[in-house]
Amino acid sequence: MVQDTLKKFHEAATSPRKQMEKYLAEGKKVVLTAPVYTPEELIHSMGFVPMGAWGADMELNRSKEYFPAFLCSIVQSILEMGIKGGYKGASAIVIPSLCDTLKTLGENWKYAVEDIKFIPMTYPQNRKPDYGIAFTKAGYERVMRDLEELGGKYDPAALSESIKIYNKHNEVMRKADEMLAAHPEITAAERSDIFKSAFFMTKEEHTALVEEFLAELDKQAAGAEKIGIVVSGILTDAPQLNEIFDEFGMHIVADDVAAQSRQYRTDAPEMDDPLQALAVKFANMDNCSVLYNVKKPRVQWIVDTAKARGAKGVVVVMTKFCDPEEFDYVMIKKACEKADLPLALVEVDRQMVHFEQVRTNLETFRDMLTF
Amino acid sequence: MLTLGIDIGSTTSKCILMEDGSRIIAKSLRIGGLGTEGPEEALQDLWNETSYTRDDVSRVIVTGYGRNKYEGADGEVSELTCHALGGRFIFPDLRTVIDIGGQDAKIITLNESGRMSNFVMNDKCAAGTGRFLDVMANILRMDIDDLDECASKSEKPASISSTCTVFAESEVISQLANGVSRPDLVAGICESVASRVSALARRAGVVPRVCMSGGVAKNSAVRHALEKNLETEISFDPMAQYFGAIGAALYGFRQLNK
Repeated sequence: MVQDTLKKFHEAATSPRKQMEKYLAEGKKVVLTAPVYTPEELIHSMGFVPMGAWGADMELNRSKEYFPAFLCSIVQSILEMGIKGGYKGASAIVIPSLCDTLKTLGENWKYAVEDIKFIPMTYPQNRKPDYGIAFTKAGYERVMRDLEELGGKYDPAALSESIKIYNKHNEVMRKADEMLAAHPEITAAERSDIFKSAFFMTKEEHTALVEEFLAELDKQAAGAEKIGIVVSGILTDAPQLNEIFDEFGMHIVADDVAAQSRQYRTDAPEMDDPLQALAVKFANMDNCSVLYNVKKPRVQWIVDTAKARGAKGVVVVMTKFCDPEEFDYVMIKKACEKADLPLALVEVDRQMVHFEQVRTNLETFRDMLTF
Repeated sequence: MLTLGIDIGSTTSKCILMEDGSRIIAKSLRIGGLGTEGPEEALQDLWNETSYTRDDVSRVIVTGYGRNKYEGADGEVSELTCHALGGRFIFPDLRTVIDIGGQDAKIITLNESGRMSNFVMNDKCAAGTGRFLDVMANILRMDIDDLDECASKSEKPASISSTCTVFAESEVISQLANGVSRPDLVAGICESVASRVSALARRAGVVPRVCMSGGVAKNSAVRHALEKNLETEISFDPMAQYFGAIGAALYGFRQLNK
């Protein structure tokens, strides 16, 4: 039964186009949500299906008309997909301003992909003070106005309901993260499918599927112990990467991955004004390379989580040319060294075909942890 | 008990036959690594040199870039682990290994008890590797083994980019056109490799004793430039190119004696 549910996650994770066609055939409008954080609850409440647009593993060609080669390949692949019709049928894409590369994606998108409306979401650098929250809220109002142009209708009651749906989804994803830490038999590839599929399914559908999965998993005896690791990075969905984790007996006991658990750590609070609640949610979010915090609590969070989950080491999966992650890496490395926590750094990008260097790196890391 | 280590690199294949994890009985090296007849030829050389056959060997471990495709071994292990083991076998107080191979560079640090504590690898880039020297030797129409002696005659090493092999190739041609002497160019090329690798080494942390392994270890100009950059002595052993194979043979012995 667990395997049946895992198969469903895999199907959804590996066929986003099919998922989009299904929603379009049902007469629904799809709004793409670019990395790293967008007000999905608002999009959902206004009658659209938010679908994650994190690009794909592919050769980049057309995007290079707009971007230099030394730019984050996730962002480049989003534009490549847009130009080549991979997102055809979507009504709009919401692109946040959370890193310099994302800012350029929005500007280029306007010219490169004319049939899918670009909706900017400009976040403040200082999101926690009242003026930061007001800035975020104003950004959400801008998104709202753009969505209204596409036929969406804002209703505070509907947004409150969507916030509940998203908070519930956050809760089951956090529970999944915890339970997966106790089940080494669930592979890194399967774990990746569970998280990745969330981008391509409505949150109602995904919550139901995760709950079904967790109920079955709860009945299953935990498999033999493997090498527990914490994985950190922006994106770790490359099948070859997960195959390598599995091949070397590594069990992801926790993640600090932007496309995985970072999405689900913070709920929107219950407030009379749901749009304010959504802005407060963003203010409360933390422990992420693209969320400005001069104290960098993320660094200690990684160490503490690794210790709490009994991880033998930390693997930083660095997306090439990702400045925010590269800035944090130095501090993560030092903190892990101080905590006597072995750390490995592997570099990945969307264009990688051969993972031999990653393989050698992780095989050596396995030896380091076990030999 | 005999164990055999085979190191299939990008440009050479090396074999080490070891007794009881403590004595090297035979070694062999053939030009030609991954995707060539090199591994089989090196192995055949080993059998020809000794009276042993494959049946006499208790465990065969393969390492290096060609390890995954080689079918004649009992197990495979990453070359970083092997270079650490092999280096420590030769230098018992070793703490840092700088391995510059045909296509990559790796830095491995060991703790006091010899356990691997950290490692870094270069990115997919020929700069700072044996391939860089190979390309430059080709432009200068020299044998790569002659670079060392040529560099020793340099009076003022030329400045060569350490960032990119392709750009450096253009630079060398420009400098040749400007009349820079061949020894100065070669010395500059060796310093360029050292500059790139020392930056990598500093990322891993350099703790004496430091040694070099891999084919480029034989090049004293690179070694001395590294010593200057890292401000530390770098040990060299004529077996440096075999550290991977030695480590593989040791790994096999340890597996059997767990």
